[in-house]
Amino acid sequence: MRRSRDARLAQGDSVRAPPATRALRAIAIVALLAWSLGPVAVGVVTSISSQTDVQTVPARWLPDHATLDAYRALIAGASTSLGSTASDSSAFGQSMLSSVEVTLEATVASVAVSLIAGYAFSRLRFRGSKALFWAILATLVIPVFTLVVALFRTMAQLHLINTQLGLVLVYLTTQAPLAIWLFYNYCRDLPVEPEEAALIDGCTRWRAFRKVVLPQMRSGIAAVTAIVMLLSYGQFLIPLLLGSSPSTTPVTVLITDFVGKYTTNYPLLAAGGVIALLPPAIVAILLNRHIRGMLSGSVG
Amino acid sequence: MARPALKERARARLGFGPLGPAAGASRPTLAREEAWLGWWLVIPAAALILALVIYPMVVGFNTSLHAEAPTLGAPSKFVGFRNYSDVIKDPATHSAVVHTVFYVAIALALEIIAGLGAAVALHRPFRGRGLVLAVLILPWALPSVVSGVLWRRILASDNGLLNSVLLQLHLIHTPQVWLASGWAIPLITLVHVWGVLPLIVLILIAGLQGIPDEVYSASAVDGANQARQFWHITLPLLRPALAVAITIGLVDAITIFDEIYVLNGTGLNTASVVVQIYNTVFVDADFAHGIAFAFLVAAATALCAVVATLASRRATV
Repeated sequence: MRRSRDARLAQGDSVRAPPATRALRAIAIVALLAWSLGPVAVGVVTSISSQTDVQTVPARWLPDHATLDAYRALIAGASTSLGSTASDSSAFGQSMLSSVEVTLEATVASVAVSLIAGYAFSRLRFRGSKALFWAILATLVIPVFTLVVALFRTMAQLHLINTQLGLVLVYLTTQAPLAIWLFYNYCRDLPVEPEEAALIDGCTRWRAFRKVVLPQMRSGIAAVTAIVMLLSYGQFLIPLLLGSSPSTTPVTVLITDFVGKYTTNYPLLAAGGVIALLPPAIVAILLNRHIRGMLSGSVG
Repeated sequence: MARPALKERARARLGFGPLGPAAGASRPTLAREEAWLGWWLVIPAAALILALVIYPMVVGFNTSLHAEAPTLGAPSKFVGFRNYSDVIKDPATHSAVVHTVFYVAIALALEIIAGLGAAVALHRPFRGRGLVLAVLILPWALPSVVSGVLWRRILASDNGLLNSVLLQLHLIHTPQVWLASGWAIPLITLVHVWGVLPLIVLILIAGLQGIPDEVYSASAVDGANQARQFWHITLPLLRPALAVAITIGLVDAITIFDEIYVLNGTGLNTASVVVQIYNTVFVDADFAHGIAFAFLVAAATALCAVVATLASRRATV
């Protein structure tokens, strides 16, 4: 049985847990925060360091003179100690844009398609629905690389290699089974009475779905949107193989190009990493409650 | 029509209750409306999956049964499962499999041990818990390629932070080239675990919250201490959540690629099975063997996932 938060508070850990346990827990929490934020902090500090700061041994944890040179090089194409980045900076801007664009398009489409399918599988009765549902879920276990190698030829035949549309279609489809499963679970756990009431009042199924069930699913939609968005934005192998022309390269792929090209220019690479992590970090922080609820709820 | 009858009809429509005699007449049309709508709502998803998942898989499987055509477009000979046996016999496959076993073992050990510790520390309420959980989820939210970039300076060879710290602590005497050493695989796994751990922790927290407090109070009365409670109550009751966590961790680790690619490229000393597939297909341009390899790994992954799930189920029953 799941107990309410208040009941837990009232019954209280503080009553039961001896001081040693509480201290141990506090240490664990601090360690976890350090572990989670450490690499991000290193990235931020590195991005505002100069090459000399980064190359001193033993390492300087903080730069002598904080500088935004790396960001300037990356965004405005200013020249760095290792040469000009003019063409790469425009490529970087372009790739951020195309990452965000493809992610948003794929997310909207994937959520729309999966939402109606998840609802239909959980609430509507039609012949073959069970079999189809399990067939779709079974595709969840197909690892993405199996697919991407096989997809490469199909996409080439359809002239969708190196197009944004191609990436959107592939993301949308590969995320759909997970999204359908999450929506199915979510819809199944919602109370059915409002939909029943709407039907009693003479609504059609479709209208009842739009006017009654859809508003009930708001939090679930927010969660699945965030999850699909994060997964789409983080795609690497698929765009590496299917979309690496200048107009479609997402930032994840471009950053690995930079790693090869600016191997030891840590400030520049870190600045790229910091900019690239902003969109997912913002989504994760704004919607973290929904995401957590959905991820842990889908387990129980 | 009277209200109860309508209610009955609605329940019948939704499939929640037995049909009353009054609703019998209208059932076929309502059921047809429902089936009609149901199909329309699932067709877009089903069509996309058929076109972009099932169809390429079938074409890919067919490719894997033929010899790689010497020139593009030339007819290729049916060779049955010979590509598969070629892959199985290839020494490069063996080393990739061994590497992958290491990735998986290290990742799972770290994820389950650290995940259990973190979940136990975080599952009860405390001030600021929401904030801590929001921060904790961050590594999972970031693209694994970006995680790799963030970790690069830590793992760098001459002036990396790990080298600096260990030198200052006199644990090493010269800077190590970590990613060319025996530490390459454990360290890349660490970066991988950084991104996966939040999901594992969330799953285990959900599992812990499903354990009723009464069980603990009862055993406390019986004089069980916390360590005994953990072994004899928490772990057995957590088994379903652990099974999910292990399955997710397992599949994620078997298919590790991004972190390796960004930290060490396709270097053979750290190549996992997916890196090896990448090399086969996109460096050697050998689709037939690459797809055969991919299917073998997919089958092995599915098998591992099924075994993990079944093992946990049998243990709980």
